[in-house]
Amino acid sequence: MKDRLLPYWLLIPAFIIVLATTIYPLAYSFITSFRAWDLTKSRRPEGFVGLDNYIYAASESQFLNSLWVTFIFVITSVILTVILAMALALLLRRKGPMHTFTRIILILPFAMSPALIGVSYRFMFNPEFGVIANGLGAVFPALQGVPWLADPQLAMGILVLTDVWHWTPYMTFMCLGGLASIPRETEEAARIDGASNLRIIFGIILPQMRGVILVMAVLKTIFALKMFDQVVTLTGGGPGTSTETLAYFIFNVGFRWFDMGYASALAWILTAIMMFISIWYVRMLLSERKMATA
Amino acid sequence: MAEVRLVDIEKKYGNFLAVPKQSLTIHDGEFLVLLGPSGCGKTTTMRMIAGLEDITSGDIMIKGERINDKPPKDRDIAMVFQNYGLYPHMTVRQNIEYPLKLRGMPKADRKDRVRETAEKVELDALLERRPSELSGGQRQRVALARAIVRTPSIFLMDEPLSNLDAKLRVTMRAELKHLHHELGVTTVYVTHDQMEAMTLANRVAVMREGKIVQLDTPKKIYAEPADLFVAGFIGSPSMNLIDGAVKDGVFRADGVEVPVDLADHDGVVLGIRPEELDITQDPGAAISGKLYALELTGESTLVTLRNGPSSVCARGHADFEADIDSPCHLAPKEGARIHLFDRATGERLL
Repeated sequence: MKDRLLPYWLLIPAFIIVLATTIYPLAYSFITSFRAWDLTKSRRPEGFVGLDNYIYAASESQFLNSLWVTFIFVITSVILTVILAMALALLLRRKGPMHTFTRIILILPFAMSPALIGVSYRFMFNPEFGVIANGLGAVFPALQGVPWLADPQLAMGILVLTDVWHWTPYMTFMCLGGLASIPRETEEAARIDGASNLRIIFGIILPQMRGVILVMAVLKTIFALKMFDQVVTLTGGGPGTSTETLAYFIFNVGFRWFDMGYASALAWILTAIMMFISIWYVRMLLSERKMATA
Repeated sequence: MAEVRLVDIEKKYGNFLAVPKQSLTIHDGEFLVLLGPSGCGKTTTMRMIAGLEDITSGDIMIKGERINDKPPKDRDIAMVFQNYGLYPHMTVRQNIEYPLKLRGMPKADRKDRVRETAEKVELDALLERRPSELSGGQRQRVALARAIVRTPSIFLMDEPLSNLDAKLRVTMRAELKHLHHELGVTTVYVTHDQMEAMTLANRVAVMREGKIVQLDTPKKIYAEPADLFVAGFIGSPSMNLIDGAVKDGVFRADGVEVPVDLADHDGVVLGIRPEELDITQDPGAAISGKLYALELTGESTLVTLRNGPSSVCARGHADFEADIDSPCHLAPKEGARIHLFDRATGERLL
């Protein structure tokens, strides 16, 4: 009897740690999302307000703006990252010393901290001394003195660029893994059948990469939805609120305006979006696995 | 006329010589098998014909035209791969149709051609399935159908039966033979299975370390192997190869004395096929030893006897019975072919 219970006793410390670090904050923030809590007035959550925080969010322009900004950011960064990663993987899948070397150095951007990437790009796009801003100005005189991060569209473009730069290497490795699992014979058979290189890519390789591409897109979407670090260090959400993503807006509501009740509600909206995508992701993985074993 | 000629072709990977300079002519309508152990260069040779592998030097001629620089699609060939090479995201119909589509054949014609081809390989009931829903044999048929659908001048088959179970392999072998008879297309077939080579080929090219060591009809290769390697490679069970020496017109080894027509020679290997040996009670027979094993194969019994380090196998009657370790004697049958090879060089002496 003692032996049967021992594994459970041994699990208790880990269970307590998970409970304290994950379940408790989650439950606490969920309950807080139904309460009013102005951190400047009270150290503890105040009265229950029902769904007021959620209803308010539905009509508040800044929240809706952050949702729209996040949507634009997610769509562009996911599409660009997946396309670039796929293209790079197709170039790098051959064996050879140059390919191996490139594959090794390719991991460097992913190894960098997102906050540091933001700071670096902020410097590089500075109109006065930024190496990229000056370089572009030297090559295209019309671009001299362009206030890259002061223009809403350009600032969003640069934010997307930093994210694509950060994530493309990792996604390229995922693509390389997927490409390695495609039998060489299908491609060779297509070549003998008369397919051109483009046709082989679009008609033979990409359809077989469908599962990998879907997984990549979903994973990248989840990470893009949480975009925060680069916003803080690169644009600060600006100019205006043009790059204020949902995660950054939640941070502002909670830690600048100290409205913890509303911030908790917004955080749960973001969590719900990500849970929805995650569930879809798991279902898709299961169906892919079923297809693979059919 | 779809004759294939390989003229002094050579393949190097860096410093590694995969296929040394060699020439080969495959006649129009011929079924030629490239046979050899793994890594002997047979698949590389076929891939060079297909255009999937660049050749380092030499020329490949198809129908008298040099095709070294032509891409695979312009060589008028079709290839069947060991792992089938089917397009997993397409149905059987789409797989068969794909080469026709790429060549711009009108849809109605494509449909008719796919139906005819599917009937030929008995796939007509499976056209809407995907490869993952088919058995190994059915997949192989799809690969065959995709190869024959556009009536190429040359078929290249790279160990197409090696992923099938033994029973299915025999069935598919017969189907391939029939298909070749029906279509009469020049076929180059790569295998390491000598049984496949013997049953399918008009001619067999036995390869070793990238070189063709013998090129002849299956019958001739079986009856007169060019060297020790071919002798040991062809035949199942393989030829008995006994180490010894020839002195005074007699080959001698432990428990073996066979009169031969050869001058004195040390380091000789005598070869004799199991079916050319008789099991006898005569203690003075050419080969003597102790019975080591009896293996019933159905139509016959394989009798292995041992004397010292060498063992000799004979094919006996299915009813043959004897005790293990009992004395056993074998004698070459009347008119049996005795092969003699030089042990050092492997060359045929007689």
